[in-house]
Amino acid sequence: MSDFSFIGTLQKILMESGFAAFAEDPRSLIMIIVACVLFYMGIGKKFEPLLLVPIAFGILLSNFPLTGMLNEPAVIDGVTKSPGFLWVIYQGVQHAIYPSIIFLGIGAMTDFGPLIARPSSLLLGAAAQLGIFTAFLLALALGFEPAVAAAIGVIGGADGPTAILTASKLAEDYLPAIAIAAYSYMALIPLIQPPLMRLLTTQKEREVKMEQLRVVTKTEKIVFPIAVAIFVILLLPDTAPLIGMLMLGNLFRECGVVDRLSDTAQNALINIVTIFLGLSVGCKAVAENFLTLETIKIIILGLLAFMFSTAGGLIFGKIMYKLSGGKINPLIGSAGVSAVPMAARVSQVEGQKANPANFLLMHAMGPNVAGVIGSAVAAGFMIKVFGG
Amino acid sequence: MGNLTASSFLVALSGMVIVFIMLIVLCLIIPIISKVVLAVQKPQINNRVAPTTRPKAEPAAQPSIIGVAGEVALIDVDEKTAACIMAIVSHETGIPLSELIFKSIKAI
Repeated sequence: MSDFSFIGTLQKILMESGFAAFAEDPRSLIMIIVACVLFYMGIGKKFEPLLLVPIAFGILLSNFPLTGMLNEPAVIDGVTKSPGFLWVIYQGVQHAIYPSIIFLGIGAMTDFGPLIARPSSLLLGAAAQLGIFTAFLLALALGFEPAVAAAIGVIGGADGPTAILTASKLAEDYLPAIAIAAYSYMALIPLIQPPLMRLLTTQKEREVKMEQLRVVTKTEKIVFPIAVAIFVILLLPDTAPLIGMLMLGNLFRECGVVDRLSDTAQNALINIVTIFLGLSVGCKAVAENFLTLETIKIIILGLLAFMFSTAGGLIFGKIMYKLSGGKINPLIGSAGVSAVPMAARVSQVEGQKANPANFLLMHAMGPNVAGVIGSAVAAGFMIKVFGG
Repeated sequence: MGNLTASSFLVALSGMVIVFIMLIVLCLIIPIISKVVLAVQKPQINNRVAPTTRPKAEPAAQPSIIGVAGEVALIDVDEKTAACIMAIVSHETGIPLSELIFKSIKAI
């Protein structure tokens, strides 16, 4: 006790603190600034705040030096060392648990009625996956490895959980950049899509009023998720986690006998998992992986992927406009990118600008939910080809 | 050009084709399912209506038409709600209420 020195102890505390560690590697400080920018986007600008706020906090926590939050479990000198908190949380992404549970909630929230009433909407959902494959080629041209390029391409599906699941399987080091790009652009859809919609369609096409959809019976809605799960998963088994959970959630919603499960899936469960998913994505954004030229490339490729997907949906919408004798408004094609229901709302807004009596929302919901299935199929294909 | 090869284009094309095939298959299956479901349901509905002991169709199975406001059929909607909906549609579209024609308003 006689050796105790107050000043010495204070010095020791400071030297072993995170502040001192910043001097050794200032890149962590830059990542903390990145986290603050994301806080501003999420809280100040309200860009996908449910995801961006936990992602930003995950970045903050994982870039504080010396916390050991991301430490893997280890055995040192025969003593088992507990893993870090964020490492444990991240296992849900690593093993594709969180994106699948998010899909369960999305399924419980989604009404597939408009899609069942007009099955041709599915074709728009397929065409709007163009961005996935175009961005894949562009990423390869920029020098990314094929598996990483595939994960980057899936940003074009405009579906956060699908992009995260694919990145966790094919490009783990790029997961934060891919997730942040996907969610940021999903929030920016009302800015990204309208110029393309006006560029690729004529005033006459935008003015088209579509016929009211037929009434879909309860039984059709109950059979739909079961049939989709059987056909899609049997054909592409790699889509099982996403399509399986999406359709299970939808069955909860439609069957009418498990209201409590449906309520839990679309509220409590999805909220809990969203916290873990956001933290997991954020915690992988450590300086050495994130502060690279590749991150900037991914951000640019993500934007191009969104634009190509929107264009794909619109162009196919124009084809359907011609084939239907002018009965289909091509604006609903852009809703084929997933981003439910934001993309459908954009179709509604643009349709009403062209013709105030136009109500495209329900018509656009068909391609919109078809886009969710389409992007899951595209992601399943990429995982099948590049997953090893 | 980076890692771009001829096979990359083949992969991209195959992927797009697979997505289309999958969704076209679904597009074909959905009407079949709908037809089967409706075909199965039709006799059941007829059976419910047909017996002479129960001449009236079950009211719970059908949406109840509460009333007719002017020429607007109100199905499971009260007049106050219908008036609000008509006012909102008029406001959102910028079309005066006098120029709008509502045929029916139905609770979903």
